Amino acid sequence: MEINNIIDYLVKSADFPGKTIKESCKKNNKEAVGCVAPYAPEEIVYAANCIPVGIWGGQVELTKARTYLPAFACSIMQSIMEYEIRGTYDFLKAVLIPAVCDTLKCFGQKWKGTSEAIPFVFPQNREAKSAEAFLESEYKYIKNKLEEILGITITEKALQDSIILYNDYRAEMRKFVEIASVHTDVITPVIRHKIIKSSYFMDKKDYLEYIKELNKKLRLLPANNSKNKRIIVTGIMLEPDGIIEYFEKYGMDIVGDDLTHESRQFRTDAPFSGSALNSLAKRWTNHNACSLAFDPYKERIQYLVDLANHYKADGLVIALMKFCDPEEYDVPLIMERMKKENIPLLVIEIDQQAKSFEQINTRLLSFAENM
Amino acid sequence: MKDRYYLGVDVGSASSKAVIINQKKEIIKTSVIQMGTGTSGPKSVIDNVFADTGLTLGDIKLTVGTGYGRNSLKFADKQISEISCHAKGINYELKNARTVLDIGGQDVKAISINESGMVLNFYMNDKCAAGTGRFLEVMARILGVKIDELEKLDESSKNPVTVSSTCTVFAESEVISLLSQETKIEDITRGIHNSIVTRALALLYKTNMEEDFTLTGGVAQNKGVIRALERALNKKIYVAKKPQLIGAIGAAIFAYEAGEERG
Ligand code: SF4
Repeated sequence: MEINNIIDYLVKSADFPGKTIKESCKKNNKEAVGCVAPYAPEEIVYAANCIPVGIWGGQVELTKARTYLPAFACSIMQSIMEYEIRGTYDFLKAVLIPAVCDTLKCFGQKWKGTSEAIPFVFPQNREAKSAEAFLESEYKYIKNKLEEILGITITEKALQDSIILYNDYRAEMRKFVEIASVHTDVITPVIRHKIIKSSYFMDKKDYLEYIKELNKKLRLLPANNSKNKRIIVTGIMLEPDGIIEYFEKYGMDIVGDDLTHESRQFRTDAPFSGSALNSLAKRWTNHNACSLAFDPYKERIQYLVDLANHYKADGLVIALMKFCDPEEYDVPLIMERMKKENIPLLVIEIDQQAKSFEQINTRLLSFAENM
Repeated sequence: MKDRYYLGVDVGSASSKAVIINQKKEIIKTSVIQMGTGTSGPKSVIDNVFADTGLTLGDIKLTVGTGYGRNSLKFADKQISEISCHAKGINYELKNARTVLDIGGQDVKAISINESGMVLNFYMNDKCAAGTGRFLEVMARILGVKIDELEKLDESSKNPVTVSSTCTVFAESEVISLLSQETKIEDITRGIHNSIVTRALALLYKTNMEEDFTLTGGVAQNKGVIRALERALNKKIYVAKKPQLIGAIGAAIFAYEAGEERG
């Protein structure tokens, strides 16, 4: 397959999630299971012969969501609530809802779709010995629930195979972002985002093949010498697409990210350990420098400085999800440090319900002008 | 040698401004129309700025557009953000300005600039009219006074009240209940000015807070706001001579720099 065809295919897959999921399920003879936002143990879903589908909201007008959520619930959960009430997710066999923050903790307890909800809790103090054992038991609960809903048995072998596939996928994705950073003429900010996003709607086995092929082809291209500004983005997610288009319009390449929706998904592997579920639990206890995982030493701040240095970035953009408190708490700390490091910083607010981005437009233009 | 002219146009949410300068960076003519983007304001301001100058758009070597409606200025050679333009404009007028607070029709911006008028960093308000010019308009309407009467009322306040700085709509109902409690209109006015400043301070404190402090934007014409800011910061605030024109002046200087450098 030619490089353009691979890119086109992945971009389209991201643009039409419903169609992509349907086709993936049909092709692989699988069912789909939803994972609400970050860090669900997709490997268990995959081992249950299902396609894990990422649920990250979308640009939808709120009509009913406010009945169930306070106005200050984050924008992404507002959209998910709206979609679930509308029945958008009812084709899913089950939905995994992790409690990584206060909003998600409550959210898991009031799923309005018809598919069964499986809420579970991530232990926050990951240094405590019991954290791993606790999470392992949560994962066992997910496994049992899926077995019950789907009427199947999830074997240890299937789980181990699934972990191997996911570790391969994560490694390949890390290569992808690295290679993409020197080919920003081909992998523009919008394309980069969509390629990563498409993984949420496809069978990881198929997706991995596309990415491997894409990486191989990208490596053969001469590195571009773009004069554009090199930007790192951090936060939960960078959407709607209209915002990313401004990056392109104002000559800013996204060379690296620390977004939950993107690189944070494939930053941490599941290490080898006796049992599969224990490996998966260790993946969480090893996951650091993230606003959603208790980070008493605020490693995230140093991580961002390192990331900026690694990619020789000209600036950092915080894509701050509206009303996401775990992220909002980090902002003043990041600001202070970036000032010290002389790394230009811009904060933009991500509101999935927004239709016009004039303020963000002005901010990004000024940022690009003055970096 | 023929004179060269440059045009800066700032189309804001509430007003349109235009400035013509020549190759010596002298201001030839300015114009302000109290109608912003999406109205006939941008067209009128252009007609107005050329009136009595003997010049037409054809005599302009380069035009820079800025402001919320900058993209509607199809004839502009370049669009530059209002943040960069305000920094440039204030540097032209007050060389020592390092921290600029710009309170416009619907935006508040705190900008740190260096000695050559470059933006070091900037902070903007969230999507809310609290603390902006629009907020003042709404409040003046409830008080039943003209917007330019506010500063006079503020002067005679003895016991200022507190008015919410978080939300225009909340502030509106607060003011209505204050009026029904027969609170003095002067004291409410002072409360309104303080509320604007409280909102702006949250942005200002994020900057390097370097002196000189300067206030620009339409709201800087209101001395009540200036005094409230001076009280809060305990510092002298410099106000641009024509605070509303600073963005357009900056745009004209950018046009000048591009034109003269290109030769
Ligand atoms: S965006 Fe933030 S507040 Fe919302 S669910 Fe995610 S972590 Fe929680």
